[in-house]
Amino acid sequence: MITLTHCLVVSACIFCIGLYAVLAKRNAIMVLVGIELMINAAILNFVAFGKYDESNYGGQIFALFAIVLAAAAVAVGLAIILNVYRKNKTINLDDITDLRD
Amino acid sequence: MDFLTNISPISCSLLVVLLPFLAFLYQAIVGRKARSGNVSLVAISLSAILSIYLFWNQSPIESNIEWFRIGDKRFFLGILLNNTTLLMQALVSIVALPVHIYSKAYMKGDSGIHRYWMYLSLFCFAMLGLVVSSNLLQLYIFWELVGFASYLLIGFWFTKESAAQANKKAFIINRIGDLGFLIGLAIVYAQFGTFNIVELFAVNGLAENWFSQVNSLSGTWLTVAGCAFFLGAMAKSAQFPLHVWLPDAMEGPTSVSSLIHAATMVAAGVFLLATVFPLLNETVLLIIAIIGTTTALLAAFFALTQNDIKKILAFSTISQLGFMVVGIGIGAWDAALFHLTTHAFFKCLLFLAAGAVIHEMAHFKHETNLDFDPQDINFMGGLKNYMPKTALLMGIASLALAGFPLTSGFLSKDALVISTFEWAVAKGGLYYAFPIILIAVSLMTSFYIGRLILKTFFGDFAFAKNLKAAKIHEASKTMIYPMAFLALFCLFIVFSWNPISYHLSWVLKEFNLTYTFEEIHSLHILIPVILTVGSLLMWWIGYQLYIQKKQQVKQNALFRFSFNQGYLNEFYAKTIIKPTLLLANFSYWFDRTIIDGLVDLLSKITVALSNLFAWVDKYIVDGIVNAFGSIAYGTGNLLRWVQNGRLQSYLGFAFTMVLLGLIYLIVI
Repeated sequence: MITLTHCLVVSACIFCIGLYAVLAKRNAIMVLVGIELMINAAILNFVAFGKYDESNYGGQIFALFAIVLAAAAVAVGLAIILNVYRKNKTINLDDITDLRD
Repeated sequence: MDFLTNISPISCSLLVVLLPFLAFLYQAIVGRKARSGNVSLVAISLSAILSIYLFWNQSPIESNIEWFRIGDKRFFLGILLNNTTLLMQALVSIVALPVHIYSKAYMKGDSGIHRYWMYLSLFCFAMLGLVVSSNLLQLYIFWELVGFASYLLIGFWFTKESAAQANKKAFIINRIGDLGFLIGLAIVYAQFGTFNIVELFAVNGLAENWFSQVNSLSGTWLTVAGCAFFLGAMAKSAQFPLHVWLPDAMEGPTSVSSLIHAATMVAAGVFLLATVFPLLNETVLLIIAIIGTTTALLAAFFALTQNDIKKILAFSTISQLGFMVVGIGIGAWDAALFHLTTHAFFKCLLFLAAGAVIHEMAHFKHETNLDFDPQDINFMGGLKNYMPKTALLMGIASLALAGFPLTSGFLSKDALVISTFEWAVAKGGLYYAFPIILIAVSLMTSFYIGRLILKTFFGDFAFAKNLKAAKIHEASKTMIYPMAFLALFCLFIVFSWNPISYHLSWVLKEFNLTYTFEEIHSLHILIPVILTVGSLLMWWIGYQLYIQKKQQVKQNALFRFSFNQGYLNEFYAKTIIKPTLLLANFSYWFDRTIIDGLVDLLSKITVALSNLFAWVDKYIVDGIVNAFGSIAYGTGNLLRWVQNGRLQSYLGFAFTMVLLGLIYLIVI
């Protein structure tokens, strides 16, 4: 049977993969994908812990809410990337250092 | 002239004094533009006119204003008019007037002539102020001013080394005398508490009653005071051994010399002695007589062999001043003043005539390009053919100087010599030396002035063959007229109706002095006869020696002693100047090595300490501050690369931090 531990391990694995993508990938799109993965890891945790709230299904509800938020965040993220691309003609994050001091 | 009769004698006399001062101010302010000297000339003319208007035999008047006050001691400025001061005032301004006129021609074209007029006016102002001062303090101030003005005038051609040396010498020697005067002033003030001349020195005044004072100083101080005043007079009136400045003072323009030697400067000393006469006790008077005789003798002796025409006259002045000082010493200060007066005129004339001769000789030298000293009488001779008027005038003055009958000098010199003789008779013993020396000096006077006249005006001109290239002219009218004016005063008629008897002279009559010794009638015939015959004899010898050249003058030790002025200058150089210089050098060394060394050491220690502190400041104090700065900088620098603008590294840091936080929470 799939226990809570299995879910958390999978969630942690997905989070770490996402984190790796966010920190290591050069392509902004891939970073965005990494963020999605991390959000999804978090959502998985919501759902997994949702079993402790059987009456209100708070975990599942919050998961749905988070998916919507993630979609909105990706839309905003993609728009930013697009603008960055227009400005810099690249989406390689190593080349974009405008936030530097 | 109506308004003149209305102004008081005091304000009149004030004008006499102040006019030259105003001229001095004018010359000082206008400076280079005032070259004509007309202002000075007008000022001295007015002074002369006013002083003649004031002249003679008024009842003594005195006017004082309070000058300042120290505690309850009051000090005054004032004018005193009595026969002495009136005589001196008139003498100074009347002698100064022809000198001014003469200067216009003599100093013409000199580049510093504006300064010349300025100094000359200052000189006249100082001397006029001196003679009418009503108190000794004021007299002292003018005394110093006279010294200062003479310093300026002697060094008028200050670019000439010898002139600069001469005025320094005059000034320094006069300072010695000033010191004496100052000591005298201090003693008199300590004793009497007043400087007023009338209170002190009037008949039966304070000075005569030294011991009747409350808290009187002892009698020694009376002698000291007298000697102190005499020291002052010695320096000013060029008495042996302080006479050395006067021959050197010849470095000034000749017109200045004539003024210094006649009415101003040297007259001040005799005037001072005549003024303070009641203070002088027996001892001091004897010292004065001895010094005066010595001076007269030595100076006349030095004059015998000098070749510089001005030097001869300078020593002659010293010698004549010696006569006057003897006059003071024997108590016949009226005769001294009388001789001062007559001497002023003929000596002034002698100098002016000598100046005219030098002027022509210098001119001749310039035209012919010959190399000779225009003041050396050896290079003159026969000048009477070229400058007859000058020769005549100088001859008259020389007769007066030699005391020949019918001249003024005859009257005054006889007055002195006869009085000395009478004094010596009254004292007896060794005192006979005084009149005998004076008679000898008189004969020497005749000889040296005869030598001067013979060598200058008679015989053959040394450069006769050069006369084609350049002529020697008579002096210009601007120079002749003042000289003629002075020559008038060399005659007996100005001073006495009777050419034989000096007793009838108005100068002596009005002073009305009673001598301490008796009159001896036989001497009044004997001495003039001796002097006149002696003079004639001297001139005959001079004629044989210098014109006929019958015999060569032997240059023996005595001659050299006289020629080198008694080696006095060398003596002073060895005994006073050299030790002074040595002392100065030692002081300089001491100052340089010890005093400066100490200061240098201190400064070196200070520098070393400062260096130490600088090091501490730089490396310790600043080091600490800089260390803080460096730490802040390093930390900042370290954290700086975090802000590299890469989002991913930001995130990575954020994550690391969170991770560290978590680990912290877990571990603790």
